Amino acid sequence: MRSFGYRGVLAALALAVGFALPSAQAKDWKKLTIATEGAYMPYNGHAPDGKLIGFEIDLAKELCARMKVQCEVIAQDWNGIIPGLTGGKYDAIMAGMSITAKRKEVIAFSRPYVTTPSTFAVPKGGALAGLPETGVRVSLDDKAAMAAEVAKLAPLLKGKVIGAQVSTIQADLLNTYFKGVATIRTYPTTEEHDLDLQAGRLDAALAATSYLMTTLAKSDGKLVLSGPLFTGGLLGAGVGVGLRKGDADLKAMFDSAINEMLKDGSMTKLTMEWFKSDISAPM
Amino acid sequence: MGAYFTLIGFGPNGWGGQLAFATLMTLSVSASAFVASLVFGLLAAWAKIAGGRLAAVLADAYTTVFRGIPELLVVYLFYFGGSQVMTSIGRLLGHDGFLGLNGFMVGTFAVGIVSGAYQAEVIRGGYDAVPRGEIEAARAVGMGRLMMLRRVIGPRTLRFALPAIGNVWQQVLKESALISVAGLVEIMRQVHIGAGSTRLPFDFYVTGLFLYLLLTTVSGFLFRGAEVWTLRGERAA
Repeated sequence: MRSFGYRGVLAALALAVGFALPSAQAKDWKKLTIATEGAYMPYNGHAPDGKLIGFEIDLAKELCARMKVQCEVIAQDWNGIIPGLTGGKYDAIMAGMSITAKRKEVIAFSRPYVTTPSTFAVPKGGALAGLPETGVRVSLDDKAAMAAEVAKLAPLLKGKVIGAQVSTIQADLLNTYFKGVATIRTYPTTEEHDLDLQAGRLDAALAATSYLMTTLAKSDGKLVLSGPLFTGGLLGAGVGVGLRKGDADLKAMFDSAINEMLKDGSMTKLTMEWFKSDISAPM
Repeated sequence: MGAYFTLIGFGPNGWGGQLAFATLMTLSVSASAFVASLVFGLLAAWAKIAGGRLAAVLADAYTTVFRGIPELLVVYLFYFGGSQVMTSIGRLLGHDGFLGLNGFMVGTFAVGIVSGAYQAEVIRGGYDAVPRGEIEAARAVGMGRLMMLRRVIGPRTLRFALPAIGNVWQQVLKESALISVAGLVEIMRQVHIGAGSTRLPFDFYVTGLFLYLLLTTVSGFLFRGAEVWTLRGERAA
């Protein structure tokens, strides 16, 4: 095999290197393509005429204006949204994607722009309506504050039945802080604990506030939110922009634009508009 | 009920236009994939029946591999893998930036190549069902290879294979839903978009169900008609 000499080896090596380093070198970001799912309202969705709408569409527009880049937001199915990023089809993902350790093995994230706190939904006028510090944020990372909160809530929740979706961060929270105090019941889906809550088989359900907004809207005013807004710790770091690991410069641009919006209150305004509550990430 | 028809209707706040467009997309991508599957299937069946040793081995490998792996994997491989390879080759040639593959083309090719593997077995089975005596008779009256193919083997194979070819078509129609990962807005992707955008999953998924049923039922009738046509020379049992 004389013909396959060092030149052949070099060509093969060049090819291998080319395939192994698919991400671009540092480049001058003038134009960005951002992928969203387009089927997860109020984060992102479509209008009946096929246009993209939602919180993240407005947020992308605002962030791009601040970063002084031209942006195009495209819809991409949730399945394959990460391979599309690493493959280079687009440069960023803004699709209500929670920052998790597992995803961080594959892609990078900007700092979180929203954190969806978890809270209790309870029957209006029931024993658990108006728990202490309703609507106040409590971070699970703040050990002292959380211990004080648990001490306040435990006597009130004693003997009550609380539901959550199985294998969720909410179920983990209940098992970590209220095991033995309240009876914890887990359900395959969030819709099922809503039904049991309305049927009176549950005294409270713990879920993400962004989800509970729809539950409340569907309950004809029979359910209300109660108790503190739990964030941080095992509830995760919030929702951020998904980016390729190689694009550190782009991450820096997103981080500073998001920080600006958090600081001047425009993030609060935008989340109030789409979620009816302030779910902007803590600074 | 009235609210449902407003939702999926063609009014200013209805999703009718989007849904109709998605249905056409499903139909056109399925039809293209089906034609592709016939081409792959005929080639592989021919290689198995009349090809040389190498052609037969290659055709066997093709039908074994593509019937043995999930279609979703094939779509992923061609769509994302294909783009990555194209981009890398582009970079070697000095083009900086992403070279994407068209979702429609990739989807058609991926579903076509997988269904072609089934199609090959269907066609080979149809050919095997043709009584050898008919072929011998054709040879005995002095027909050439092409005339024999046109007058005896072709029509007779079609008559035996057509019901199963109809099955492959239905399979292609349903598997076209997998192409939604390539960003193509066909029925599956559109009802998912509608469900997620309005938070009315039941209404949209039921609509999707009816749209697929509509397509499979209508095409079922067409294939039934075609089967009757292939049987026109047969004695009634």
